[in-house]
Amino acid sequence: MPPTDYDLIIVGAGPAGSTTARFAASAGLRVLLIDKRQELGAPIQCSGAISGHGLAAAGIPPDPEFIHEAIYGFAIYNDRGDRTVHDYRQLKGDEYGPGPGKKPLGYVVDRRRFDRYLMTQAERAGVDVWLKTEGLGYRPRPDGSCTVSLLRYNQPIELTTRVVVGADGLQSQVGKWAGLQTHIKITELAGCLQFIVDGVETEGLLEIVTGHEWAPGGYAWVFPKGHGYAEIGLGVIATMTDKPARWHLDKFITQSFFRDRFAGSRILEVQGGGVPLAAPLRTQFADNMILVGDAARHVNPITGGGLHTAVAGGKIAADFLVGHLGDGLPLQGGALEAYQRAWLGAMGDKMWKLYGIKTGIFHNMDIGERDRQLYATMSSYFSPTSEFKKI
Amino acid sequence: MSKQQPVLFSIGWNACINCGACVAICPQEAGFVSPFDTIAVDRPCDIACLLCESICPVDTITHVPVEQPAVSVVTVDR
Ligand SMILES: Cc1cc2nc3c(=O)[nH]c(=O)nc-3n(C[C@H](O)[C@H](O)[C@H](O)COP(=O)(O)OP(=O)(O)OC[C@H]3O[C@@H](n4cnc5c(N)ncnc54)[C@H](O)[C@@H]3O)c2cc1C
Ligand code: SF4
Repeated sequence: MPPTDYDLIIVGAGPAGSTTARFAASAGLRVLLIDKRQELGAPIQCSGAISGHGLAAAGIPPDPEFIHEAIYGFAIYNDRGDRTVHDYRQLKGDEYGPGPGKKPLGYVVDRRRFDRYLMTQAERAGVDVWLKTEGLGYRPRPDGSCTVSLLRYNQPIELTTRVVVGADGLQSQVGKWAGLQTHIKITELAGCLQFIVDGVETEGLLEIVTGHEWAPGGYAWVFPKGHGYAEIGLGVIATMTDKPARWHLDKFITQSFFRDRFAGSRILEVQGGGVPLAAPLRTQFADNMILVGDAARHVNPITGGGLHTAVAGGKIAADFLVGHLGDGLPLQGGALEAYQRAWLGAMGDKMWKLYGIKTGIFHNMDIGERDRQLYATMSSYFSPTSEFKKI
Repeated sequence: MSKQQPVLFSIGWNACINCGACVAICPQEAGFVSPFDTIAVDRPCDIACLLCESICPVDTITHVPVEQPAVSVVTVDR
């Protein structure tokens, strides 16, 4: 293969793209990371909860630059307000806690600062980063490399690279460029809305409220957000309600068992987005192209969490590419399927299993029974004995 | 392709929170997007599944039917 401008061009500088870039450049690959935004992470489309081990496994120190608040456990509620609490300060008090020698279980991060921090670490590892640069398409070339078309401050640019990494999030276009089947079913994409509020007390726990009454097809949440703020949000599945998420959030705040707790709340920010409660994409590669993070739907289908899976997937993608390119292996004709196998082995198979559990719950037509199952599943999911603890 | 009549979407920008959920659910080819990370509003949609309207968390997408078949606009370099 003749020389190319870069070894990797990564489209999207979210957690998945920046992590892929950082590990690839640290191992010596020439990497260009682009993002169309002017400020990463903004507007925020995320609640920001990530586990401590998720950060550690991807080599990310819990830096005060991006942390809003430390988390020590979970409280899961049923539709009437009964709750199951897993507070690791009590369950494993010698390991988890605010005191010296102890650590938090996880964190709520500020996505603006988190994404910028990860991009900075990538840049310091040798990655070229271009903001205000949109990926428009790519074409595999007969010589085994490919050409990527970019638009940077209105200027069209064509670059050659060995591999394009599509880390362009849920609205991913990169997979579509290659003709992959990326469509998400309407029954599996939760429409989400959340408010950052002042005047709501929290206790260092991620609170999750289940029940069709409050969040048909999804769940509602109350997360601590630092500085005495909280985050109240929910996601709903459009086929299970004829009302938008906003209507359900208003109802949750004014009518649920939390109405007194929320009575004095004042809204400081409004955020939203789509969360796929879906299976990973069946095909996450094409000629000269792989997908990572939300673009490959590397999202936990039970919790909707995609931060841990994005940074973990970024490391898997980088490790694979470093080996594959280092060995000079082909990049076309199905050769990159090896990436997908590596990912499935490391975390994908567990996510498929979670998808099976989730589908089983929501195929149940009896609302009461479904509510009971979701509450039980969520309660055991976050327990210290859960088999899915590291996903 | 569906036999639905093509539609032109309109977004109430005052309520839109730029969350991108409409693009995520959209079955169109790559490039059916606006500069504000929403579905396109400057050309007709010939699929007209209206999934974007049902997913929008703030219910701010509407449409009008259009008579002529969708003009194909190529914005993506393939
Ligand atoms: C309301 C809500 C709450 C959530 N809460 C949590 C939570 O508490 N915990 C958790 O773990 N997960 C949560 N998630 C999921 C989480 O936000 C995502 O899984 C995560 O952001 C995925 O990271 P990513 O790097 O794959 O993609 P993204 O973070 O979406 O990054 C994609 C990047 O690509 C850029 N881009 C897109 N297209 C192009 C292009 N053509 N050219 C150049 N750049 C492009 C975008 O600008 C963006 O910066 C939540 C999601 C939502 C919607
Ligand atoms: S789904 Fe609604 S709020 Fe979100 S970007 Fe599209 S139009 Fe805006």
